[in-house]
Amino acid sequence: MPKRKLSPLPSAAFQILLSLVDEDLHGYGIMRQVAHQTGGRMRLGPGTLYSSIQSLLEDRLIEEVDLREDAKLGHQRRRYYRLTSTGRKLARSEAERLADLLRVARAKKILRGDYV
Amino acid sequence: MSEKIYAWLLRLYPSHFRKAYGYEALQLFRDRARDEKGFFPSLRLWLELLADLAISVPHVYCHVRPELIGASAQQRSDGVPSFHVLEGELPHPGALLFGGVLALVTLGGFPILLSHAGNNATSQQSFSQPPAPPQKTQDATRTNDRTAAGAPELDAALRHSVIAKAIEYLKQYYIYPEVAQQTADALLAHERSGDDDAATDGAAFAQLLTRQMNDVSHDGQLIMVYQPVRMPERPPRPTSEEIAQYRREMEANRCTFQKVEVLPHNIGYIKLNSFPDPSVCRAKAAAAMASLNNADAIIFDLRDNRGGSATTVALLATYLFDHPTHLNDFYDRGANSTEESWTLPPIPGNKLSDKPAYVLTSATSFSAAEGFSYDLKMLKRATLVGETTSGRSHMGMAHQIDDHFMIRVPGIRVINPISKTNWEGTGVEPDVKVKAADALETAKKLAQSKLQKK
Repeated sequence: MPKRKLSPLPSAAFQILLSLVDEDLHGYGIMRQVAHQTGGRMRLGPGTLYSSIQSLLEDRLIEEVDLREDAKLGHQRRRYYRLTSTGRKLARSEAERLADLLRVARAKKILRGDYV
Repeated sequence: MSEKIYAWLLRLYPSHFRKAYGYEALQLFRDRARDEKGFFPSLRLWLELLADLAISVPHVYCHVRPELIGASAQQRSDGVPSFHVLEGELPHPGALLFGGVLALVTLGGFPILLSHAGNNATSQQSFSQPPAPPQKTQDATRTNDRTAAGAPELDAALRHSVIAKAIEYLKQYYIYPEVAQQTADALLAHERSGDDDAATDGAAFAQLLTRQMNDVSHDGQLIMVYQPVRMPERPPRPTSEEIAQYRREMEANRCTFQKVEVLPHNIGYIKLNSFPDPSVCRAKAAAAMASLNNADAIIFDLRDNRGGSATTVALLATYLFDHPTHLNDFYDRGANSTEESWTLPPIPGNKLSDKPAYVLTSATSFSAAEGFSYDLKMLKRATLVGETTSGRSHMGMAHQIDDHFMIRVPGIRVINPISKTNWEGTGVEPDVKVKAADALETAKKLAQSKLQKK
């Protein structure tokens, strides 16, 4: 049994899962959505993005959907990705784990202010 | 230039990764380069790309899954010669050195590239942004460049003549007259409202017109092209020299019949990479089909087929029917005529007309290959196995506007007699959806189980 690449879930992979919660996206769409949801802190390069996508596909956390055009980006057909139900569950449990972590951090008062 | 550098850098990744994602990584680079223009955004983009390479290359090498290596080893034993190479766990030291040096050279040469790119900024306008008004000094430089290349300055009068001629071709040839009219109206409206005024650069103007046309027609094949150097007058038909050259090429690569063989279980297999012109390749096609005449099933592998002649489509399809069969109609808007495409009368001695047939497709199967697949699918004569095809059925001609501008207008529409439509934009859906790489194995299994049931 090979070692699972996604245990623990790397932050890039988690962000990709989150980016696909609302809609199917192509690679560049994922990159932009991740940049948006992290306030520009995480801008995935092609290598990190596609190696993460490869791992997520292998672990069936996301799946490929058909090639489609994105009218905003010209007429090339692009491969879209979709969150699977396993991927959705994993994203939720990872979010809960982070929320627990945040509660601990807050209890130890390393964060300023009440709302993070 | 910067795209080429990035394409080189992609060679640092292992081949299985490049094969799966190389094209998409390059597309992502292209998207970002288009949207992140200017000195600082470009600099940030390159720094991020280099950091990304540094992190992800070792990551990709360290996580090659053992079973993936095993899978590529298995594919070698199926009797079909192939060139799969087992991945080593680590990149070749030479490749790392090459990558390191290239990265340093790229970083060092970056300011030079940027300053060079600044001069061509308007020629690479993004799809999503309106063209910025050019600054006077830059404009003067570009005008000089153009004069040196022999192109006239792009002023309102020249823009108008390009638009007028484009509209003329659109109305005369475009497959859908109403859409042609709407597109023409949109081009004129944009011109009147001054949307084109900022385009003093030929390439930017061509891109702008293409976008304006696409906004209305939603047809990615309707394209305005700009060539900075004068286009040579092309004769309407290929010259005898070109025909001789084509004949030599076809003879050298067996009319693109890459493989014709009988697989285990007496399954005929043809890998055909185009539909070559019948005037040159009729005999070769007949010989290929004759050599498989005693097969119990036949597989047409069109996964790498880039299209070609509709006559050859009909010629090959003939072997699958015992009577002349209506495949398609071709409606030519310019000539306002419809040409019917039928298979030929049955070929004496042909035994394949009632044998199970399979067509392997990929996302890159193109044009005539899609026609062959679509026709047989509609007639329920073959099972399509693989991926949805690329989705080009309209045929178009490039019409010369002047020495530098030409417009590509889709002018011929395929109308299938059964579906009354075609596969433009949507591609041809396979009956059995599998990755192109797995299509042959899947089709072999389907054929075997079908033959066993008999």
